[in-house]
Amino acid sequence: MRYAEPETVEAALSALSTHEDARCLAGGASLVAMMNAGRIGPGMLVSLHRIPELSTITETGDGLWLGAMCTHRTVAADARLRGAMAAVREAAAWLAHPAIRNMATLGGSVGLADPHTEIPVALVAASARVEVAGPGSRRVVPVESLFVDSYRTSLQRGELVTRVFLPRGEDGAVGHHLRFSRVAADYPTVSISLVLAMDGDRCRQVRVVVGSCGPVPLHVDAADQRLVGTRLEAEDVAEAGGLLARAAAPIDDVRGSAEYRRMLIPRLLGRALSQARERAHV
Amino acid sequence: MSSHAKPGPIPEPVGEVLGQSVPKPDAREKVTGRAVYTDDLRVPGMLHGALLGSPHPHARILSYDTSRARALPGVRAVLTAEDLPPNDIGAVIKDQPLLARGKVRYAGEPVAAVAAVDLPTARRALELIDIRYEVLPAVFDAEEALRPDAPGIHAPRGTAHPNAASYIRLVEGEPDPAWAQCDVIIEDVYETPAQQHIYLEPCSTLAEVDPDSGKITLHTSTQTAFRVQAITAEALGVPMSRVRVLVPRVGGAFGGKVESTNQPITAALALAAGAPVRLTFSRTDDIRMMRSRHAARIHMRTGATRDGRILARQVRIHFDTGAYADDGPFVANIGSYFARGPYRIPHVDVECWCVYTNKLRAGAFRGFGNPQIHFASEVQVDRVAEAIGMDPIELRLRNALETGEKWLGGAPVESGTLRACLERAREVSDWHRRRERPPAAPGKRRGIGVAAVSHVSGLLGSSATVRLNEDGTVTVNTGAVDTGQGSDVALAQVAAGALGLSLEQLNFSRPDTDTSPYDWCSGGTRTTFTVGRVITQACEQVREQLFEHASAILQRPVRQLELRPGGFVGVRGEPGASVSFGAIAGRALYVEGGPIIASARYLFPAWQLDTRRTQVEGLPFMGNGFFVFAAQVAEVEVDELTGHVEVLEAWSVHDVGRAINPAATEGQVQGGFVQGLGYALTEELVWKDGHLVNPTMGGYKVPGVLDVPAAIHAVLLEHPFGPGPFGAKGIGEVGLVGVAPAICNAIRHATGANVRRIPATGERVLRALMAREEGGAKASDA
Repeated sequence: MRYAEPETVEAALSALSTHEDARCLAGGASLVAMMNAGRIGPGMLVSLHRIPELSTITETGDGLWLGAMCTHRTVAADARLRGAMAAVREAAAWLAHPAIRNMATLGGSVGLADPHTEIPVALVAASARVEVAGPGSRRVVPVESLFVDSYRTSLQRGELVTRVFLPRGEDGAVGHHLRFSRVAADYPTVSISLVLAMDGDRCRQVRVVVGSCGPVPLHVDAADQRLVGTRLEAEDVAEAGGLLARAAAPIDDVRGSAEYRRMLIPRLLGRALSQARERAHV
Repeated sequence: MSSHAKPGPIPEPVGEVLGQSVPKPDAREKVTGRAVYTDDLRVPGMLHGALLGSPHPHARILSYDTSRARALPGVRAVLTAEDLPPNDIGAVIKDQPLLARGKVRYAGEPVAAVAAVDLPTARRALELIDIRYEVLPAVFDAEEALRPDAPGIHAPRGTAHPNAASYIRLVEGEPDPAWAQCDVIIEDVYETPAQQHIYLEPCSTLAEVDPDSGKITLHTSTQTAFRVQAITAEALGVPMSRVRVLVPRVGGAFGGKVESTNQPITAALALAAGAPVRLTFSRTDDIRMMRSRHAARIHMRTGATRDGRILARQVRIHFDTGAYADDGPFVANIGSYFARGPYRIPHVDVECWCVYTNKLRAGAFRGFGNPQIHFASEVQVDRVAEAIGMDPIELRLRNALETGEKWLGGAPVESGTLRACLERAREVSDWHRRRERPPAAPGKRRGIGVAAVSHVSGLLGSSATVRLNEDGTVTVNTGAVDTGQGSDVALAQVAAGALGLSLEQLNFSRPDTDTSPYDWCSGGTRTTFTVGRVITQACEQVREQLFEHASAILQRPVRQLELRPGGFVGVRGEPGASVSFGAIAGRALYVEGGPIIASARYLFPAWQLDTRRTQVEGLPFMGNGFFVFAAQVAEVEVDELTGHVEVLEAWSVHDVGRAINPAATEGQVQGGFVQGLGYALTEELVWKDGHLVNPTMGGYKVPGVLDVPAAIHAVLLEHPFGPGPFGAKGIGEVGLVGVAPAICNAIRHATGANVRRIPATGERVLRALMAREEGGAKASDA
């Protein structure tokens, strides 16, 4: 296996282009575990940890650009991730356990597209946009357009994620991430990420995303619409939750049956909304 | 037991060391990472071993072709059953080959072994081994395996069914007519899972063979140097005089390392390769190739009068021992023996089967059959209390066995302290106030539950040698293995207390079958209890020798002498008159008498079941059995939305006889509680079509630091009694035994949901809650 430690994005792209079976090494939390388990055997690893650009955080009027090599620990500790952006900070704060949060990165989570973990869910809820660098160009795309299937993204061979933009969202919008798992450090059985804005006791805007219940983070426009304009009463939540549960494609595994996951979606949606609401009133 | 019916007065320790929470000698090196475990060892020319697991749960082996693996550069040995002596091993039934011979009986069973210059080469070689199989019908459920048409897993041995590894029946009183006298009868079926030990250190062995003598030296992670020596010698057909076993630091065991693990096959690889071989399992291989706790299904019926007298109980237990008996029949013995619980129930009928299935073998695991039966018994007793409207602790107190009463089978309860444990648990947990259901967090329901707990300590043989060094310090040799539980410090404190020495004046040696006196195993709640006893016996002989010399030196009769802290023999009532151990050693070594040394031995007596009292089939005697008691209380919150159970606070009250090292004892209790919490709520090996679904730390979930209550109150009662050192009683297993029923009783108190199957996952609890809401209490079962 070949190994490279480029110092610029351009050099990384060039290294990636030299080998058919090259992979980016970000934090390594999943990649190295998969290699150790013999699940993958890349011909070349391109480590991204010497590229300063990938670890920078830039605040703009509209939001925050987070470098792809920001660790979950860094994201969880950044107090600027307020309002709508808090969904991502909360997801990063309780994901797995400290040893993994110290290693794993935002860009790595996007590239891995693991349907059982939470960063992708929170990024979709937060309407994140992702900058992708490829040979000769960079593009910015909505994060959900990257997630095409379980562990599959629309990234092309030779491309890499450079940074992620989190929009500040509407005034008064709050983001919230709720995870439910067998034990604290497990992958969630179900997670719910949402961004909510209230007008008094009415929902002005909401974006709900469900994790661990399908090949990609589950976002259903009709479910959001069912909640907008309501007082988020039990019946509204139940119906919106029902729309999400019907659209979900969960699997049976050791973390819970598909049926249990479907049952949990409306239940946890209600809890996530009321917790977010409490925050919106603060 | 009758043979220690004359316990005599419990001696008092000399000095202050016994009873102090001194740190474990290995604590610092473990915290800093300096501790040397088997996998840290390396020797010149060392090869790496790996095992190939069976792809089928049940299949005939038609042929092997290992030529491609042997041809791979770097491969030094490839073994199959054809290369090994035909010696099957097994503690109870010799049913198990080192590598599958003739057929495979579970998916993952080792069928071939490789030694190579590095681990990747060894693993590549495994992929190059071609084995042709003929798949056979398989059976995965213990009750199904006893059907007449079930596929046979082993050659018939004359048992009622070829798949029955053992069968036990114990009957006392007249159960059939007794039911008519009961005002309430509760009947349920309880199911408990195959829990995995998840010791932090996977099984590991380094085997070396002396090219001239052929002597095999094993460095290995085990609970027993001497059983490993015996099993390895037996399996390979070599005399024990040509096998030496040493034990580096051990990263936990919990019963998973009481029999052989990978020692015999690693030795076989070293013999075949003519080079040292180290074999350390990956976590996944460890889970799928070693052993688990027995999954059990327990049909139980208990009847009581309205005023709280439990009159009758019927129990049918099926222990799933997997493809090999291992310790299964012994586990079934304990499960049956505890089926009446620590209660005086006059009419009892217990039937127990230990059954082969095409799954991973089940064997010893902290509690050894007792957590399974305690789960059923303690949940059912709680339901009896509910049915007659009595406080659960009150019902238990009314039926608790007291000192002098008889256990199922007739053994006497010599130190019946269950009442003291229950009363203390009621007090420290503020039981009555919490039973009023204080308000829970929004969306949560809160409840508190109890379990009365009993276990046994003491089993089989131990020996110790104690000798005086020239400077008056003392060397203690035993074969005891400290698996992390803290026996090294506790046993050193026992010697210190027996001779009045400081720990600096004591050299406590580590196990080595070439030099250590025999010890059976660090299992069965016996190490401090039994090895501690032989240490005190040997120390007593050393004291006698010391006094003979001191009598001559001080010119006083022996009866006027006493031990004084710090290594002195003095004259009672004369503070100025004393002689140091060093001076005595000098006299003994150079002037008169010879070296001061003593050895002691002990075999814990087995109890013959009283056949005038009990109708007995399949269990003529019990090998272990000094009864110890505890009471465990858990307070939980159940999430109404998800069914998830959080344990908020716990109290574990134990009669430890005497706390030799209170902090280490509390650690044992808290560790037992956490492992019991995992058993209650999250831990379960899952199979699909005979294949393990979750043989990883990601799939199989043990509780982490955020999943256990901040406060697990270990409350130690000290009622010194019995054959242990200074009246100490065993504590190693009992802390796990009652946790699952205490938690499940708390879940029922919180919600009304009757949890009959553990782990009580969120999904199972939620279904029980929903059923209760839809159909009333009758349909509230999980």
